[in-house]
Amino acid sequence: MATAPGLVTPEAYVDTLAREQSSLWGDAWRRLRRNRLALASTVFLTFVILVAIVAQFWLPYSYFAEGIAPIYQGPTAQHLLGVDDLGRDILSRIMLGSQVSLKVGIGTQVIVIAVGVVVGLIAGFYRGVVDTIISTIINIFYGIPDLLVALVLVLLLGRSLGIIIFAIAFTQWMTMARLVRGQTLALREREFVEAARAGGAKANKIIFRHILPNALGPMIVQATIGVPMAILFEAFLSFLGLGVPPPTPSWGAMAADGFHALRISPHIVLAPAIALSLTLMAFNFLGDGLRDALDPRQKR
Amino acid sequence: MFTRGSLLYIGQRLILILFTAVAVSSIVFLGIHRLPGNALLNERHPDPAAQAELLHYYHLDLPLAQQYFLFVGGVFHGDLGESLVNRSVQITPLLLREARVSAEVGGAAIVFTIGIGIVLGVIAAVRQNTWVDYVATTTSVIGYSMPNFVVASLLFLFFGIYFYKWTGGTIYYNSGWTGSWGTLDQIVVPGFALGFPYASIVARLTRASMLEVIRQDYVRTARAKGLTDRIVIIRHALRNALIPVVTILGPLVIGIVTGSVVIENIFGIPGLGKEFATSILQRDYNIVIGLFTFYAIIIAAANLLVDLLYTVIDPRIRY
Repeated sequence: MATAPGLVTPEAYVDTLAREQSSLWGDAWRRLRRNRLALASTVFLTFVILVAIVAQFWLPYSYFAEGIAPIYQGPTAQHLLGVDDLGRDILSRIMLGSQVSLKVGIGTQVIVIAVGVVVGLIAGFYRGVVDTIISTIINIFYGIPDLLVALVLVLLLGRSLGIIIFAIAFTQWMTMARLVRGQTLALREREFVEAARAGGAKANKIIFRHILPNALGPMIVQATIGVPMAILFEAFLSFLGLGVPPPTPSWGAMAADGFHALRISPHIVLAPAIALSLTLMAFNFLGDGLRDALDPRQKR
Repeated sequence: MFTRGSLLYIGQRLILILFTAVAVSSIVFLGIHRLPGNALLNERHPDPAAQAELLHYYHLDLPLAQQYFLFVGGVFHGDLGESLVNRSVQITPLLLREARVSAEVGGAAIVFTIGIGIVLGVIAAVRQNTWVDYVATTTSVIGYSMPNFVVASLLFLFFGIYFYKWTGGTIYYNSGWTGSWGTLDQIVVPGFALGFPYASIVARLTRASMLEVIRQDYVRTARAKGLTDRIVIIRHALRNALIPVVTILGPLVIGIVTGSVVIENIFGIPGLGKEFATSILQRDYNIVIGLFTFYAIIIAAANLLVDLLYTVIDPRIRY
């Protein structure tokens, strides 16, 4: 719109009004919608979640019935993704396997957020000796080989979904804790926190009403990026034979099962591998999109 | 480069490495000995005398505290004990031999990671917001979204099966290992599978830090002096852009070590990673404990090296 400076047309006036009203979250949402990859990822992930819900109530075939078609058979009209080395329908198993991946991914991040927020807030808010101790522990955890520790934890505690989630969270909480700590350290020096403290607010109120809501953006991004890492971990554990116990299908274990027959029937490996890669990719693209949307200054 | 302060720092770190190794192996040792059953008890010895004899041989009949002191004493002498499954196999020489194999593959992976990563990152940064950049950045997201066993199976499928005539089956490996393992063409494929996900992360980091550096005044000065783009990028910009990239090297080594557990199993490479998976599934706990000790030392040493590399690449950092 080419108008002389200082002259406000009605449309421009409306435009400024609208912009003044947009909140941080509204702004972020607008930027996210413009990011086509992030949007496509959101659509895909919604689809995966729907599949996981549908799989709870309906599957094309039983996920554990063996020999319903000749073993190693490739894709056919009855079995769209073929059958595996025991003659089980791969499509049904992939559908149910999405539940394991989502549970692990989201369950892990719930624990990571809970632990990370508490530890990070304590370290960042109280500083001093507490902070030194917590930071040292975080640094020690960074030095350990995460996959191997998760493997041993699963070995020591037993193979079940809950323990796998715990083991993965155990090796991943530090990143969130460090992030929250950094945010808290930065936010507690800001004027609005100063003002709250001058107004007589207690530590609890400052932490939960003023600091935490302002640290939420980076935390969401971190959690979104943490989900695919956790899913990847579960796939590794399953691939090595220490994942969710059979016959519950997990994408990593399905790929491992088909590996010996890669030459004659690659579809057994490829179907879960592609499902896994697409899901991970979608979470990563969404995480990138969220980062750009929530913090436009940090545009990489 | 080495002042008195930095020597002191190295000394401190070396002590910390030793401490970490002992701490890690202790935790694993105590944790594993609380588990019911081990490789020996699985074998159902009919004769209790033979069973007792066997337990005595491995000191498993002693109280846990005493076993532990024997173990720690062994660690300080570089002796990690004997395998529970394959009797009379000494663990230390076994692991050292396997470490050489893993080092070859892991070394190839690190070369791939850093090479591909830096090249992709620089190209993406130099051509920011063009299609080249988009292709490179999208490739890197795809790269670290693909589990390494997926990359491995795709490589297997193409090079081992579809292009069989061309590769002559060089990526099939013999399980019988004679002591010197791996020719160059055998290492390339597993090395790539191991390194590719991390190459994507390196590419991302390089791109981000390159974009920051390119905008700085001294780079503009170099351009104004009339230097060619290539020299400005390689000699002036890249040098400083690599400093943040060095931070990833520590996690990279951990990633290569853990990734090798999967990759070595897929390709049947007789290295530490394969030993790890095998010994865990066979419940050969002596080897598991030994491997953890070994890994702790390798990783701590790698972190120390990265710290030292910092001072070389960025003289402003002093310890």
